[in-house]
Amino acid sequence: MGQHWRGEVDGDQVAWSGRLSAVPSGPQRVLAGGPAPADQQAGDLADELLQAVGRGDEQAFARLYDVVAPRVYGLARRILRDPAHAEEVAQEVLVEVWRSATRFNPAKGSATSWIFTIAHRRAVDRARSEQAGAARARRVAAGAGQTPYDDVVEQATANLEQQQVRRCLQGLTDLQREAITLAYYGGYTYREVAELLGTALPTVKTRMRDGLIRMRDCLGVSLG
Amino acid sequence: MSTEIHALAGAYALDAVDDVERMAFARHLTGCEACRLEVAELRATAARLADTTWTAAPPRLRENVLRQAARTRQARPRSPGSPAGPAPSDRPGRWRGRVAAGIAAAALAAGAAGATFVVEERRVGSQRQAAQSALDQVSRIQSVMAAADAKARQIRVKGGGQVAVVYSRRTDAAVVMCADLARPSRDRAYQLWYVRDGQATSAGVLAGGQNAGTMLLPGLHGVEAVAISLEAAGGADRPTSRLATVPLA
Ligand SMILES: [Zn+2]
Repeated sequence: MGQHWRGEVDGDQVAWSGRLSAVPSGPQRVLAGGPAPADQQAGDLADELLQAVGRGDEQAFARLYDVVAPRVYGLARRILRDPAHAEEVAQEVLVEVWRSATRFNPAKGSATSWIFTIAHRRAVDRARSEQAGAARARRVAAGAGQTPYDDVVEQATANLEQQQVRRCLQGLTDLQREAITLAYYGGYTYREVAELLGTALPTVKTRMRDGLIRMRDCLGVSLG
Repeated sequence: MSTEIHALAGAYALDAVDDVERMAFARHLTGCEACRLEVAELRATAARLADTTWTAAPPRLRENVLRQAARTRQARPRSPGSPAGPAPSDRPGRWRGRVAAGIAAAALAAGAAGATFVVEERRVGSQRQAAQSALDQVSRIQSVMAAADAKARQIRVKGGGQVAVVYSRRTDAAVVMCADLARPSRDRAYQLWYVRDGQATSAGVLAGGQNAGTMLLPGLHGVEAVAISLEAAGGADRPTSRLATVPLA
């Protein structure tokens, strides 16, 4: 009787891919919103570069690195805290971008969305695997009251895209903002977020969703 | 599916769910067009949150990444008709470096059941081929998850954590995912079992000390349940306990 070890497969990816094949849908495009022309341009550049990388263009990859690495590294650093771990994760993610660029489909979303989705998931996985069980529970307890996105140094260097994201975050209710930032920048599950905020689970779930919907509308993200 | 599950779209897009919930929700997405669209948009929205994290990376990171990329062969593009469409969260390379270790661990741990992998290991000549072999396994998992007759069961495990099973009689396979189980010491391991006529035969063993993982269990003929137990590392011939039993209808 054969058994097949799948210790590293993740269910999300499996089902996500499965449904794409199961449901042939029309062309989809995720567009960065109109209010941020600078971001639109940066997004277009990343899209072009990633497609060139998909054709094996190493120079394009070096340029793409310069465009996205500060955010890939910064995101890993924000979630993991430890600079060495963040560097490892960023390297894994960026090499993975090189490897899988052949499979990037611009009709299904932007390059930056594709890259940061990978980066976020990888950093969160790493954070959770390193802080399993009791140690992680303590970290959650110790993390209470953090507002990770609120960083004075970064404020000073904020560019247009950052300002737009910050402005939209400020447009959320406190609970929406805390739930979303703890989950995204803290790497916490919604259960942990509920514990941190002393809020009921269904409320946290709902605030994450309606908060993101409000962010989506504020940023002008749409499929069309 | 209860209406409550739609509410998970935000947490899912933020990666704020555990593995079992992620699988359950991904499964939900296969049948819910509204959530599928919403999740695609909310994921793109969440990705914008990375814009506030700009941080100068150490210069050696650039050198290391470019050097490693230059040595790394790119994945084969998927043909348009291929069953596994790429997705933003598609990260096949994640297994690449770990596949060989995973196969070896399974072969060592699973005894007779590991023979399948030993054969595969010999057949595949390189890590790249091993990765491809792993991707083939992934496509089998995908076919189970996407099967029209797939059913999902989820059960809490005595001692902590959950086991979720998605199975399809038509594709004759089950996908078993364990999450957040109580972490065993390195000399103990979780073992999965097929139950036929009340008799358990091994379906695979997790590595010693490991408390989460996903396995493809092929061959469901006569299988009435999948069970999990905690055994000495390497697995046992018979379960010495039953932490959870997941009946398959
Ligand atoms: Zn739904």
